[in-house]
Amino acid sequence: MSEPIVEFRHITKRFPGIIANEDVSLSINKGEIFALLGENGAGKSTLMSMLFGMYEPDEGEIIIRGKRERIASPRYATQLSIGMVHQEFRLVSNYTVAENIILGLEPERKILGLFPSVDIKKANHDIAELSERYGLKINPEDVIENLNVASRQRVEILKMLYREAEILIFDEPTAVLTPQEIESFLKIVEGLRQGGKTIILITHKLNEIKAVADRCAILNRGKLVSILDVATTTTDEMARQMVGREISFTTPKEPAKFGEVVLNVEGLTVKGSAGLDAVKGVTFTIHSGEVFAVAGVSGNGQNELADSIAGLVQSSSGRITLNGQDITRASVRERINAGIAYIPEDRHNVGLVLDFTLRDNFPLRQYYIPKFSRKGVINEAAFDEHGKRLEAEFDIRSSNGMDTITREMSGGNQQKAIIAREVDMRTPLIIFMQPTRGLDAGAVMNIHKQIIAERDRGAAVLLISLDLDEIMDCADTIAVIYNGGINKIAPAGELTVDDIGLYMMGVGKTA
Amino acid sequence: MLDMIIIDGLSFALPLFIMAIGGIFSEKSGVTNLALEGFQGFGAFIGALVVVSLSGVFGAASRVPYYAGFVFAVIGGGMFSLLHALLCIKFKADQVISGVVMNILALALTSFLTKSLNTSLFGNNANKFVLGASERITIPGLSEIPVVGAVFKEVYPFEIIIVLVAVVMWYVLYKTAYGMRLRACGDNPHSADAAGINVYRVRTLAVFISGCLSGIAGMSFAYSITANFSPDIYLGYGYLSIAALIFGNWSILPALFACLIFGFARSGGAAVINQLGLPSAYNDLVRPLPYVLTLLLLVFFSKHNRSPKALGQVYDKGRR
Amino acid sequence: MRKFTLSCLAIVISLLFGALILWLMGKDPVAAYMNLLQGSGLMEKARYSGRQNMFTDFMSFLDAMTPMIFASLSVALAMRGGFFNIGVSGQMLAAGITAHMLAGVIPSRVLVVLAGLLAGAIVGALIGWLKSRFNVNEVVTSIMLNSIIMYVITFYINVFYINPVSRQSKAVVDSARLTLSGFRWENLKMDIALAFPLAIIAALLLHWFLERTTYGYEIKAVGLSPKAAYYAGMNVNRTALFTMTLSGALAGLAGVSYFCGYLATIQPGVVPSMGFDAIAVSLLGGNNPIGCVFASFLITIISKGTVYMSSRQHIEPEIASLIAAFILTFAACSAVLDRRKK
Repeated sequence: MSEPIVEFRHITKRFPGIIANEDVSLSINKGEIFALLGENGAGKSTLMSMLFGMYEPDEGEIIIRGKRERIASPRYATQLSIGMVHQEFRLVSNYTVAENIILGLEPERKILGLFPSVDIKKANHDIAELSERYGLKINPEDVIENLNVASRQRVEILKMLYREAEILIFDEPTAVLTPQEIESFLKIVEGLRQGGKTIILITHKLNEIKAVADRCAILNRGKLVSILDVATTTTDEMARQMVGREISFTTPKEPAKFGEVVLNVEGLTVKGSAGLDAVKGVTFTIHSGEVFAVAGVSGNGQNELADSIAGLVQSSSGRITLNGQDITRASVRERINAGIAYIPEDRHNVGLVLDFTLRDNFPLRQYYIPKFSRKGVINEAAFDEHGKRLEAEFDIRSSNGMDTITREMSGGNQQKAIIAREVDMRTPLIIFMQPTRGLDAGAVMNIHKQIIAERDRGAAVLLISLDLDEIMDCADTIAVIYNGGINKIAPAGELTVDDIGLYMMGVGKTA
Repeated sequence: MLDMIIIDGLSFALPLFIMAIGGIFSEKSGVTNLALEGFQGFGAFIGALVVVSLSGVFGAASRVPYYAGFVFAVIGGGMFSLLHALLCIKFKADQVISGVVMNILALALTSFLTKSLNTSLFGNNANKFVLGASERITIPGLSEIPVVGAVFKEVYPFEIIIVLVAVVMWYVLYKTAYGMRLRACGDNPHSADAAGINVYRVRTLAVFISGCLSGIAGMSFAYSITANFSPDIYLGYGYLSIAALIFGNWSILPALFACLIFGFARSGGAAVINQLGLPSAYNDLVRPLPYVLTLLLLVFFSKHNRSPKALGQVYDKGRR
Repeated sequence: MRKFTLSCLAIVISLLFGALILWLMGKDPVAAYMNLLQGSGLMEKARYSGRQNMFTDFMSFLDAMTPMIFASLSVALAMRGGFFNIGVSGQMLAAGITAHMLAGVIPSRVLVVLAGLLAGAIVGALIGWLKSRFNVNEVVTSIMLNSIIMYVITFYINVFYINPVSRQSKAVVDSARLTLSGFRWENLKMDIALAFPLAIIAALLLHWFLERTTYGYEIKAVGLSPKAAYYAGMNVNRTALFTMTLSGALAGLAGVSYFCGYLATIQPGVVPSMGFDAIAVSLLGGNNPIGCVFASFLITIISKGTVYMSSRQHIEPEIASLIAAFILTFAACSAVLDRRKK
């Protein structure tokens, strides 16, 4: 049981400007569940990407089954029976489950005994068998784009099993799952271990580690902090080592003081990109001084809800009023002027013009007001001044000041820039859509503080997030969205995480 | 007259079709290919050069130069396409720009070389290699059938070659493991890579195939419409076949349908002018018909189109 | 600055490449390249025919360069706005024929310019409209329109407007032509490009427009990221339409300064290659209006100087477009080097 199957020896990996891993040594035993714990940017994913052949280490060596290996490609990693499920699934969306799984290792037959062709029947049969053996419920003939996230994850797992992987790496596998799906995922992992597989979990969720892992390595800023035996370590201790200091996981905040109704949404229905209703007759109100948080599994209409309030998509029916003014049919610009700030989910394609300089990105949604331009002529001094003020006020770091192309900035600083721009508009309503995705704990805390500060200034805050911790941390009121409808609205104190999880799955539909 | 429309329509539509299949291969693998125009021209140039060189050796009656011409057009188109592959895949250039650049380069290079080679090898200063029109075959029996029989009447041999190659290409794209991998590369190269597929290699081969097939098309035009190789071969047929594949939603059979429409619009228009007894200058009024049709079709069909997801995106392994 | 270095690199490599070809053909590359400069009026020729000297050559050079500046500005503006305007040739033809027809009725230079501006703008707008309204790929539209316009004009010229001797269209009247042809000064005879100052002003104005106005800001935002522009409350479709209209108008100016200026006639059956060469020029100029002027200068040296070079060195004049094509190829690669460094 305790023979090492994977060993990292003195691994160092540098990227331009940062050291992703520095002198990391650790060994993983055959048949264990080994967790890698650390903040975003701690170097967990980089370390595992090297095991899977996506990068090669600059220094140090990797030993697999006692033999030193140079893993130059995922292909070679697969030959070594190493499999990986990435955070973003690597699936061909218009292929069936079976086609995805066999891709690259297609079973063949000869048409007329002569022409080789892919034997899809055999593939379907093999995969049905495989999924049964490991208890992974899936229909091999379903097309990927029709499947939900949990099913897609099962396809990824089957892909590894089909390739007879022995070492299974999971990168943040539970980030997009509901609490109930997480539970069933952890059971699958247990089952895989009993089938003799070695499992490596990359995560920052302590309770999951506590639930299944045998041992846990903690990384901080690229360095190995310690390797802990999970059974004998408390989650608090793990958290302390992960961050490198004592932190509290909750943002301190005063009790909310609700004011007037700012946003009123009535029977809002919005069509999604597929032409079906993505938001179905949603009704809610947000007061001044209130953080109204919407929880839900990805793809249940959150994007369409946020976009339709901000004006990026038009609703097909229903009414939206802002401070009593009907804005149902208003354009994006009219809504900006009416007082809606919006931090969109996709900061690369939507929130910023990535190839603009930082200076040009700050007035993106206000360049036409007299402060920034007169009669169509830009006031460059105002652009510059505005940018410098925001840069200082919000502590945005960049290599080249105002002239930095935003594409070259780190994700955290890009997000800071967007939040700075939107918060600075001092609007009565501000929408945060997935504001902390992919950011490290320090940045997350900062943004949560900003959300609370906005509330305390008297803004109505609409926070839409897939991260339940974030919702529990910031919300005054929690709404749960499922399949386009709002399933439950309640004051934050009245709902537990488990309750929310059930509503997220559409169970206990009451409202 | 109907016979003429069918015969001429097919002899124009089929080369377009084989080029469109090439485009489908390239674009389904994720590489935007506006360079078909250049590929067909360069392929025809190499093919014509071989024909002109061999015709002295084999004499006028021999069929060897004809078929050798097609073989070398395939090779020529394929080799030239590797330059597009190099720019798009290796140098990660903008694929649209690279495509247009290829077309300009092909035109400049073949014009220059045709003239220089004519001067140095054949002792004349012409800007073309004269081929003459290809012979035609009428299949006995089948061609007697009323109306449909015209399909088998006065067929250029290259039309038969094209139909055979097209069948093989359909099989490769939809039935083989390579075809499956190719289509995966165009939808999600990361998943293909994760499945152990060499995305660069699959795409390079796909572009190469598009070059080879375009070579057949170019040689066909050189043997039918222009009856020689000259810079006049760059008439925008490559772009027409791209329109056909877009209209065909990146699938082979619908693309054939589009090519047939273009072919019959062209031959039908010419027949009408002929019938009305108008002077030949009026042909210029019907020549744009396929183009006008393309525009109209694109207006109606572009909204519903589903292009390959990763089309035109540079795939960089190192980037996440 | 980086872009500038890379553009220079592309030119140097292409010239070396061209030199290699010349050398392989048994010619002297240095002499050939000097001929290019001499043919462009930038170096003294050994001898001149009557009423000619280096200055008159240079004036002809400016005459040839003027439409190229407009054409490359058209490509550059479209490129900044996210469009690949490969239809400049068609827009030029449309503008050219419109101006010719109008000048036949009212011979006026001002009207010629306005007609060109308008005709080009209409074709450009059509492309922009098809793209923003129906999502039709602008590259395909442009190519289709190039052919359609070319055929229609060919028909028109051949049937109604032909000069039977030259097989070209009839010539535009001198009083409406944008080039003062055979202008006498001292003992010299030269062609003066009246539109040249206009081209320079257009480049400066376009630069100011893109960098200093909210419209330019919108065009650039839409070009770089339509989604972000939409999120910013910009009217993406209207901006796209505007960009293509303006680009078409510039192409129209290229058309009139070419067909009613540098040339006085239109050749039927031909799509002018200048529209494609302008892509090379724009790429070389980093899609920057000022850069376009310098790049036009360079490419015109090659195209204009070739006549003299090919007669002196007995080389096919096609070598000029070949070298231009090389520059284009390397420019396409260098854009990549630039991106990769980031």
